[in-house]
Amino acid sequence: MSAILSIAKTTLGEAIRRRVLLVILLIGVLFLVIAPGLEALSPRQEATVLRALTLGVIQLTSAVIAIVLTVYLIPNEIERRTIYTILSKPVLRWQFLVGKYLGAVFALGLMMALMTATMLLVFAVMKGQTSVDQLGGLARVPVMFFVQMSLLAAVAVFFSTFVTPVVNFFLSGGVYLVGSVFNSLFEAFADPSRGDINPVARALATVVQVIVPNFQNFNVQNSAINPGQVIQGELSYTIGLIGYALFYIAILLIAGILIFDRREV
Amino acid sequence: MSLAIETRDLVKTYKTRSGQTHVVDRLNLRVEPGEIFGFLGPNGAGKTTTIKILLGIIYQTSGQAFVLGKEAGDIQVHRQISYLPEKPYYYEHMTGLEIMQFYASLFGIKDTEHCKRLLNRVNLGNDMNRPISQYSKGMQQRVGLAQSLLNDPQLLFLDEPTGGLDPIAHIEIRDLILQFRDEGKTVFISSHELSDVERICDRVAIINKGEVVAQGALETLLVGGRIEVTANGCPAELADRMRDGHNVVSLNQGRLIVDMPDDKNPNDVVTAVQSAGGEIVSVIPRRKRLEDLFLEAVSGDDKAKGRQTISMLGSGGNDAVANGQAAPAKTQDTKGDNP
Ligand SMILES: Nc1ncnc2c1ncn2[C@@H]1O[C@H](COP(=O)(O)OP(=O)(O)O)[C@@H](O)[C@H]1O
Ligand SMILES: [Mg+2]
Repeated sequence: MSAILSIAKTTLGEAIRRRVLLVILLIGVLFLVIAPGLEALSPRQEATVLRALTLGVIQLTSAVIAIVLTVYLIPNEIERRTIYTILSKPVLRWQFLVGKYLGAVFALGLMMALMTATMLLVFAVMKGQTSVDQLGGLARVPVMFFVQMSLLAAVAVFFSTFVTPVVNFFLSGGVYLVGSVFNSLFEAFADPSRGDINPVARALATVVQVIVPNFQNFNVQNSAINPGQVIQGELSYTIGLIGYALFYIAILLIAGILIFDRREV
Repeated sequence: MSLAIETRDLVKTYKTRSGQTHVVDRLNLRVEPGEIFGFLGPNGAGKTTTIKILLGIIYQTSGQAFVLGKEAGDIQVHRQISYLPEKPYYYEHMTGLEIMQFYASLFGIKDTEHCKRLLNRVNLGNDMNRPISQYSKGMQQRVGLAQSLLNDPQLLFLDEPTGGLDPIAHIEIRDLILQFRDEGKTVFISSHELSDVERICDRVAIINKGEVVAQGALETLLVGGRIEVTANGCPAELADRMRDGHNVVSLNQGRLIVDMPDDKNPNDVVTAVQSAGGEIVSVIPRRKRLEDLFLEAVSGDDKAKGRQTISMLGSGGNDAVANGQAAPAKTQDTKGDNP
């Protein structure tokens, strides 16, 4: 256990010093700060649009960070030969992989926490929203984003055990898009009650639906954007989602370990 | 006590565009406990590949590899060994001490004083709180040695430990390695730089293209001196006659150099040269060096060397002929001939 945590800790230390990630993070934070200043928004819509925009910035920035951070996790270790000293110690490959993954998730959490704090500060200072209710409702969304991004990171770690970083970037990005933005599209194609869909296309869409994790479910911003809405059974929904993510992460890591175990590094 | 390292017909093949390359080719090594074993060969000979197999980082294509009596890659064995990779890199944001603590934690060691003691031992006591990024190459290599001592290993793998270091750093590293032997550790050290290895190794194996071409105790391999006879105006026919199994013979535009063991009588060569119409330039006795072994052993295809030295030593049927005649076909021949 101590080996896994040590590897996670050094991975975190490396990640928060990586210039690419810091630049992406900086751009995200910058957008968060200037968003309220966009005067083009009409006052009535402003509250809703600003929330959606702000959360969207956090989601997009986090997704890019999650992918860029993880696709180089293993390749960098091999290229710099740091992995050799580690694997020549009594460290098993699964421990190494899990340690790297956890480190990436820690780093991701830290960066997302920074963005969330910025967002809350912006809403508190610029919009005068200081009630715990308002801010708490808002903060809940990035927490679920974090669970979502941890799952995305697991996807990228899995791919990184057998494809190059550049290919991985597009693969993981593609999986994320299919699982989030295009999710409803695939859902429609896979719908068995629709007769107008070519059976082959439907089968394919069903397979994609089954394999690709559903990222869309983690986007719980509706209630935060429109504070009037009340969602029934929110807690159990959240717990179910976290369980779903953990299940997928476990499967991905196990599959990644099986590949990585046999791989030459 | 079992052997520290043993390989049996170890083979590692990589698929390349032009087919398959045997990077390690039926390698048989036996390293005794407590010795400093030199693993020598030119760049690309397969040294690093062999070490990686022994550590379980990559896997052999066929054959067997044992480390401390267990199959290579055994995780329990990893508690008793350590490895200093070729041109290592460390997480640069960390200080020397943090790096040590990191590697220590991989063994479950939490003792900071232990880390500091080892850093002091490699003379980094004053620099241990500086980030690695500010360390010189020599200092980084010393951190590497310090981390390789964390678990008080029985067996150390050092891959080109003096590569790219200045002469003073060379000496420092060499002295440390000699201390390891005094502590009873086995050291497996790969190198293409002979001067260091010559002074510290008990036994060596010389490999070329993945094959062992000479192996044994240094004092046996280096036994006896050499005598070098140089003559001008010699015919090719004479050079051929000089090749009798122990001589290293070269002929270049009539200039003949016969490099022979000193238990043979140089007068025979001198007489033969004179009767063939040649003119003796010099007869020089000298001590045999590791370089001789190395050159002899890898001469099959070593383009880098200044003269065409053809080996009879250490590589059984490798009796290629110098100077034009058999030279073009040499590379293929030597590959196929060796047992
Ligand atoms: N992963 C690989 N794929 C193909 N060829 C490789 C691979 N790794 C090493 N080689 C080749 O194997 C040979 C031996 O390499 P190496 O063991 O690093 O030599 P050395 O350490 O003796 O300099 C080299 O020719 C190298 O190009
Ligand atoms: Mg090498």
